[in-house]
Amino acid sequence: MQAWIQVLTSSISLFVLMLVLVRLAGKRNIARTTPFKFISYIVAAIITALMSLNLLPNIYLGFIALGVWVLLPIALDYLALKSKWAHDVINGKQAVLVRRGKIMEESLFRERMTGEELLRELRSKNAFALADVEFAVMEDTGDINVFIKSDRKPLSAHDLGRKVAPLAEPQTVILDGNILYEPLSTLGFNREWLGTQLETAGVSLDNVFVGQVDSSGDLYLDLFDDSVQLPQPTVKEMLYASLQQSQADLVTYSLETQDKTAQAMYSRHAKKLAELMEMLQPYLLR
Amino acid sequence: MTVASQLKKTLASLKGNQGTLELYALQTRNEETKAVYTETIKDLGIIINDLERREQILEFEEPQYKGN
Repeated sequence: MQAWIQVLTSSISLFVLMLVLVRLAGKRNIARTTPFKFISYIVAAIITALMSLNLLPNIYLGFIALGVWVLLPIALDYLALKSKWAHDVINGKQAVLVRRGKIMEESLFRERMTGEELLRELRSKNAFALADVEFAVMEDTGDINVFIKSDRKPLSAHDLGRKVAPLAEPQTVILDGNILYEPLSTLGFNREWLGTQLETAGVSLDNVFVGQVDSSGDLYLDLFDDSVQLPQPTVKEMLYASLQQSQADLVTYSLETQDKTAQAMYSRHAKKLAELMEMLQPYLLR
Repeated sequence: MTVASQLKKTLASLKGNQGTLELYALQTRNEETKAVYTETIKDLGIIINDLERREQILEFEEPQYKGN
C-alpha cells in the first residue's frame, strides 16, 4: 500500500475515533480542568498525531497507549463521581487562601502561589482592595473565587427590602428576519399573534434582526434599519398611570358627594385601589 | 361635565384597565405574576360593580343627563 493512502485512512479513522472519545470524556471546558486532566488530554493528542502520521513502528502499540491515556481518565472520572474520597485524591481539594479577611500564607506556599499572583487574581474578580475580601478559595482547577464582605457587595433588591417581580428569561422568536417557531410555541403564541404585534409596531418581518418576548409577553424588536425609532412597549406603565388617575377620581368623588353611603363606598374603594396599586407596582413598573 | 358623566369616564377607564390586566394575566409566563393579576382583576370587578350601581342611582336622580 502506498504511504499516502495509509496516512489518509489512519488519519480519517483516528479522527472519527477521537471525536467519539472526546464526546465520552464529557463537556467540561478544557481550559478550566484540573492540571492532571490537561496533561492526559495533551498526551492523548500527541499519541494520536504520531499514529495518524504512521510514525510509530507498530500501530497497535499506539492504540494501547491511546486507550490507557483516554480510558483511564474516564474511569477515574466515574470513580470520582461515586466516592468523595476518590474525588479528593484524584482532583485535589480546594484551598482556602483568604479567611476572615486574612491571607493564609501557608496555603499560598502550598499552592506555589506568590502574593502578586493572588492580588492579580483578586483584581480580576473585581476585588481591588484586600480589605473588601472576606474569603477567597482556590478551586481544584486553579480558579480563584472570592466572597466579598457583605457591606462591600453590590446592593440587591433584597437588601432594600423591596419586592421585585419575578422575571423569566426572554425568548428569542425572530432572528435575522426569520420566525423561530419552537420558542414561539413554547411561549404559547402563534404566527398570527406575532403578525399582529409586528403590525402594531409598524414593521415588516424582514426588517427585524432580533425579536425577543419577555416574561410578561411584550415583544422587543431590534431592526436592521437603526434610523427607525420604534416605540418601546410601555403598556404596563400606562396601565399603572391610568389606575392612578382612577384612584384620584374616586377620592374626588368621595369629597364631592353629599350622599353618606356613596361617600363611604367611594372612599372604601379609593383605599382598596391604592392597595391594589401598591401590590401591582413591582409588576407593572420595573 | 356632570357627576354622572365623570363617573362614566372613570368606569370606562377602569374597565379598560381590567381588560389590559386580563391580557397580561393570560400572556405572562410566571405563575406568581399571574396570580397577582387575577386577584387585581377580581378586586377591580367589585369596584366596577359598585360604581355601576352608583351610576344607575345618579341617572335615576338626574334623568335629564341620562346617556351623556
